[in-house]
Amino acid sequence: MFELIVNILLFIFLVFTYFTHVLEAPVPAMAKNNPYALQPDVWPKAIIILLLICIAINIYKIIKRNKGKEEFTISAFLQSVPKFFTSKMFLGMVIMVVASFILDALGFMVTTILVLISYGFLLGERKIARLIIASVLIALVLYIVFNGLLSVNLPRGTVGFLRDFALFLESIMSGITGIFG
Amino acid sequence: MSTMELLASGFSVVFNPSMFFMVVIAVVLGTIFGALPGVSATMAVALGLTFTYTMEPIPAIVFLVAIYCSSITGGSITAILFKIPGVPSSAPTTFDGYPMAQRGEAGKALGVALFTSAVGGLFSAFAMFLLSQPLTQAALQFGPADLFAVTFMGLSILTCLDGEHVLTCIISGLLGLLLACVGQDKMYAVQRLTFGNRQLLAGVEMIPVLIGLFAVTEVLKQTNKKDFLNAKDGIGGGKVNTKMPNLKEMWSIKWTMLRCSVVGTVVGILPGAGATIASFLCYTMEAKVCKNGPKFGTGVIDGVAASETANNAATGGAMVPLLSLGIPGGNAAAVMMSALVLKGVQLGPLLLVNQPTYLSATFASMIVTNIIMVIVAIGIAKVFAQILSIPYSYLGPIIVMLAIIGSYANQLSIADVQIMVVAGIMGIVVRACHLNSAALVLGLVLGSMCEQNFSRAYLMSQANLGTMFFRPIAGPLMIFCIVMLVLPVILPMIKKNKANKKG
Repeated sequence: MFELIVNILLFIFLVFTYFTHVLEAPVPAMAKNNPYALQPDVWPKAIIILLLICIAINIYKIIKRNKGKEEFTISAFLQSVPKFFTSKMFLGMVIMVVASFILDALGFMVTTILVLISYGFLLGERKIARLIIASVLIALVLYIVFNGLLSVNLPRGTVGFLRDFALFLESIMSGITGIFG
Repeated sequence: MSTMELLASGFSVVFNPSMFFMVVIAVVLGTIFGALPGVSATMAVALGLTFTYTMEPIPAIVFLVAIYCSSITGGSITAILFKIPGVPSSAPTTFDGYPMAQRGEAGKALGVALFTSAVGGLFSAFAMFLLSQPLTQAALQFGPADLFAVTFMGLSILTCLDGEHVLTCIISGLLGLLLACVGQDKMYAVQRLTFGNRQLLAGVEMIPVLIGLFAVTEVLKQTNKKDFLNAKDGIGGGKVNTKMPNLKEMWSIKWTMLRCSVVGTVVGILPGAGATIASFLCYTMEAKVCKNGPKFGTGVIDGVAASETANNAATGGAMVPLLSLGIPGGNAAAVMMSALVLKGVQLGPLLLVNQPTYLSATFASMIVTNIIMVIVAIGIAKVFAQILSIPYSYLGPIIVMLAIIGSYANQLSIADVQIMVVAGIMGIVVRACHLNSAALVLGLVLGSMCEQNFSRAYLMSQANLGTMFFRPIAGPLMIFCIVMLVLPVILPMIKKNKANKKG
């Protein structure tokens, strides 16, 4: 049922996109007035039309394949929804989404430590002290490799004291680089 | 200067003790850079630039070429062990390399990847040396219609990726093509499909989507399992099996290596193409041509060989237009070009006439690099393989963080991290709906080039599709593509009809 719902939603979304968002700005005159130019909306519209045809066939095939099956009902699907929202996978998704949004504000070090602790706990590590120490060490190693050795400017964070901490770490790094460089 | 004198001058540059040491350092650095997610081959070469500031132009190009070739190979290590392609051109390596590692054949997959990388690299080095100028002239004959046909050939794999779900593979590929349309169109800079999101104006970046779909989805999938993937890959009493493939197995992929070396080198020469398109294209081609083709995606050495031979063969190809015409074949070649320009080298057709040592030194560097690389990469792969012994409650989050860094480092953009997370979650939906991640990525990688070349060809042929494809290269290629696309759909229908008639 989930597959059918996704396909129907995708179909509706593509129809909406076809009529509203393929072109979001006026076409320049050089393209508009040139009879030989492929207009910028032709390629995406052609893809959407092909997609709509394929999805329509797919919907028909899903219904045909699952017709009469007990689990292929709305009620069976609704029963499985709470199970998904309490699953470890969903919590894993939440951790990643949260991490992607706090990365800018909290900076790399704090985000990494939080992700490593929370995801490690989710994956079954129950020795909290070991998990915390390992997370801090791993975060430091990643920071040294990417920021120190590979010069990737990892996010410092926008929160005042965290940004100061990141700048402090960077100054230590550049000091070490200066000694060896 | 005769060919032998030219060769001698090139090897004398590389075998100078201090230069040889620098090449070894470059290979180690390049392999590690390549293996780290988020550090692309271009970035690896750019990082290597720092070391060349005090070098003369020829040692500088030798050093950078060594980093470039080894970084492309390094990408296969994490692709096989963690399903994270270290460089985008290693993405097809995950299709067969990762299932092999899961099955207890990590060593075999790595061995095949490293050996075939070396073969591809050596082949393209010879091709570059012998055919540099004629090949460049031939590649310049490729018009937009021919380039469109070449990229379309890459897309013709869609119906072969999963024989049981042909329709969903086509849907996935089309979704990838649609994703490639997001942002400003490349011809007229018209905003499309962004839904008002300014961060999407530059388009959907390939690297975060790749990392999300392959690495993050895998971690999420593992999160739900009761028994985690625990370091062991089958044999070896808890250790990763790094047993290398035997000679018989290597011999069985000789034709795959040969075909992919040729195609990879040619694609490398084409401007705008490069290692990523070469590896996808050759994987496509081998899925149809090779006798193990139907098993592609399940963990066969031919699949790993196709992708790795091709992406390394493209490295030599990319050097051809750079040295002969002063035109970079790809991004990494552009960085090398900037290094030479910084040193006041006048690039262009006269470079090889006036200073042929550039060609011979580059050739010697590629030969030496591709040989040293196998030994160095085996050592580095063994170190990386040990990482798999870490409990998954630590390894999983580390992969998540590497995925975050990998997507962020590409453009230092938080939006890319968010795209990666969305792609990771979408990967779960994709699996649940029997869609195909590989097909989606294929569409995304080839989409932009396909559309641009189609638009150009359409304009140049004055909107006449007949003229557009009635060309000696584009015509036969398009016929081949259409047959390849339609055949896997029609053949089962014919078989079914025959069975019904008999029944």
